Amino acid sequence: MEKQDTETAHDAANRTPGDAMSRSEETHSGREGTWIFRLSSVTKRFGGVVAVREVDFDLLEGEVHALVGENGAGKSTLMKMVDGVHTPDEGSLEVGREAVSFSSPREAEAAGIAMIPQELDLFPELSVAENLFVGRKRPRTRWGGIDWETMREEARRSLGSMGVGLDVNAPVKQLSTANQQIVAIARALLGEARAVIMDEPTASLTEREAEKLFEIIADLTAGGVGVVYISHRLEEVFRVADRITVMRDGSHVKTAPASDLDSDELVRLMVGREMKEQLFSRSRREAGDVALEACGLTRRGEFENVYLIVRRGEVVGLAGLIGAGRTELAQTVFGLRKVDAGEIRINGEGVKGLSPQRAMEKGVFYVPEERKSQGLISPFSISGNITLSILDRICRMGFVKRGRERETAEKFAGSLSIRGAGMDDPVSMLSGGNQQKVVLAKSLAREPSILLLDEPTRGVDVGAKSEIYRLINDLAEEGKAVLLISSELEEILSMSDRVLVMREGRMSGEFERDEATQEKVMAAAAGVKAGQAPGNEAEVREERE
Amino acid sequence: MSGVSTTRVEKRSDGLLRRSMARPEAPALIFLLALVIVLSVVADGFLGTSNFEGILAQVVVIGIIALAVNQVVLSGEIDISTGSMLGLCAMAAGTVAVAGGGLFFTLLAGVVVGAISGAVNGFLVTVARIPAIIVTLGMLYALRGVLLLVTGGDWVTGLPAETRVLGIGSAFGVSLPIIILFALFIVMELVNRHSDWGRNVLAVGGNRRASVLAGLPVGWARFWAFVLVGVAVGIASVIYIGRAGSVQTNAGTGLELQVIAAVVIGGTSISGGRGSTLAALTGAVLIGVILNGMVLLGIPGVWQDAVLGALILLAVSTDVLRRKLLGDKA
Repeated sequence: MEKQDTETAHDAANRTPGDAMSRSEETHSGREGTWIFRLSSVTKRFGGVVAVREVDFDLLEGEVHALVGENGAGKSTLMKMVDGVHTPDEGSLEVGREAVSFSSPREAEAAGIAMIPQELDLFPELSVAENLFVGRKRPRTRWGGIDWETMREEARRSLGSMGVGLDVNAPVKQLSTANQQIVAIARALLGEARAVIMDEPTASLTEREAEKLFEIIADLTAGGVGVVYISHRLEEVFRVADRITVMRDGSHVKTAPASDLDSDELVRLMVGREMKEQLFSRSRREAGDVALEACGLTRRGEFENVYLIVRRGEVVGLAGLIGAGRTELAQTVFGLRKVDAGEIRINGEGVKGLSPQRAMEKGVFYVPEERKSQGLISPFSISGNITLSILDRICRMGFVKRGRERETAEKFAGSLSIRGAGMDDPVSMLSGGNQQKVVLAKSLAREPSILLLDEPTRGVDVGAKSEIYRLINDLAEEGKAVLLISSELEEILSMSDRVLVMREGRMSGEFERDEATQEKVMAAAAGVKAGQAPGNEAEVREERE
Repeated sequence: MSGVSTTRVEKRSDGLLRRSMARPEAPALIFLLALVIVLSVVADGFLGTSNFEGILAQVVVIGIIALAVNQVVLSGEIDISTGSMLGLCAMAAGTVAVAGGGLFFTLLAGVVVGAISGAVNGFLVTVARIPAIIVTLGMLYALRGVLLLVTGGDWVTGLPAETRVLGIGSAFGVSLPIIILFALFIVMELVNRHSDWGRNVLAVGGNRRASVLAGLPVGWARFWAFVLVGVAVGIASVIYIGRAGSVQTNAGTGLELQVIAAVVIGGTSISGGRGSTLAALTGAVLIGVILNGMVLLGIPGVWQDAVLGALILLAVSTDVLRRKLLGDKA
């Protein structure tokens, strides 16, 4: 199916009208110009997992080539192969007609390719000028010292050429995110980059700041520089891109001029065809009373005015792209983050000043997405991890009752079929899937009535996945309220009674089980449907996950 | 290693040997045994009850404090204020003793002063969120400063005999300080392994974030660890003044680092979460045996610090190496 799709993509590209067609051999998609770099049929594996499979990609001089796809489609991995962070396992990279193999970003930079990663790699304590010259030959005085005057002068010139006047002596940490972004771009250009790769450059910018970035991009391309623009925000993509490449599950889906695509088409390409089949055939059930309610919940810079209802016996899926504010929302409901405005009601009762302890007393439990860093105490045994959440219940006079502990641990280990090691073995001996089951067992031991599951099946093998799905289903049947955060659309669609979609800190869609489709959810997540014009957006800053 | 865990371990799939080797104190314990055997052969006068008692008596003060500091280290923090804290507790206890307060009030004075100092440490670390190394470094100077200001540099001398019992008394033919050390070891072993709080300390040191998410009292667990150090220092101070019979204003100088050394050499991970009560005790005894052996072998005293330093580096590298060998599964 993948293969077939890729071919369709080429066909589509060749069907592009006019003069482009005759030169379509020149580039992978049929647009005229000289390319700066070209990836041919590259594949990258991590262990047994294929992150990128036989992908073609090229960048022309003076164009903006957008790269889009769902979370985990392989966009960043593909570009890291151009930037020298990864080397392709198969396929080739050519820069300026020469086959090259970069072993570090430094080599890529020498060849005129610069990547501006999502997490800016600036040095917060150093000044703007110093940042621009990091890893570069700094001007020297006659005495061998650093020639600060020349350095500042060059820094000023390079920022000036981008039309910005920043204080080059100011430490970078004092700058706004937008200005830091500009410093990162200036740094790339100082190395005379001919290709600049931007990974989610607007993720933490306000609308106005993004405008500034678009102007800079326009200036760059006018000067012949090529820009690869990775973004989830489709309206931006249509605004800046000359060509668009869609990736899905590590494969190339389509490359076409932006003018040949519209947002519906793009969403369809991103999510793929109809869902193969339900991952899990879930039982039918009736939802009960409202268990968890959020009214106009706001945390500045993270999410705004969120309304949310989860009933007993109901699984509510919370979809959205990375950085949409889903984890922040769940953690706020669990009392890990302070509420700025709005109210949380648990079982109809308003709660104020929530802490994790109080949330747990109220029957709420949050299962974190990162099991290694947030879920497990790795020196502890399996049973020690499971009973962590109920120590206060199995203690008498401050001492843990061994019998009760064993009993509880075995009960939950049994019901979740945790396999691979004894109860007293260190939890790190288990496979990823079984470790995840330990994290779930820990939360279930507390017998919560409201469960907030954050990516419960990430990095888990297929077998453990279906066991976790069965567990979620059983929990809902028992009358527990479940909020399921997941970046896998198929998981959301097959498990949820209702699907909520978040985008840039706001609820951007709600669908009943019957009406939810991949396309609708993705469109709401990427913000390409009615009423989502860029002008309407408030200046929402996103917290990166 | 307690009997409970040994029998449980034998039933498990992995061998007892591998299990035992995975224990944090294993390398230090093996090294200690080897050293005892070697010294018994080469050093005249090493083997013998009186020498052993001498060694233990030497390490009682360090050992008792190490048992408590061990909990602080396990929780992922550190306490380097114990040297000055001992000085201040000793001065308070000594003053009460000389004023005719009797043993009970002498002990109470030491423990209360210690607990208050520990609570200040704990408060600044958990509530004010200042890094423990900075807080306790500040307290190391501040407490010594208070001591000098209050006493004006004067010594306390002429302690009545009944208040010196904990330092020089004996029961059942064993000297009292050693009995106290082992009694506190057993208490700490139970608390560390079986109490709610002991479990919280290990969890917080093992993974702070996960502990918060599991709803554990992350702040209190660390706070009480600091208070416990104060209490232990208070008890140790009464043993200290009992042995010395007088209190100088420089009492306990340099002790704080010997205590940390004992904990780390014993095998408790300086980054928290991994370690045991036995590790702290083993570390303290090991230091005592080495110093004793050096004296018996006629090695000049100037070598002491170099040997201790080398031992700390050795202990830390062994820990890193062993984790690699065990695939970081222990």
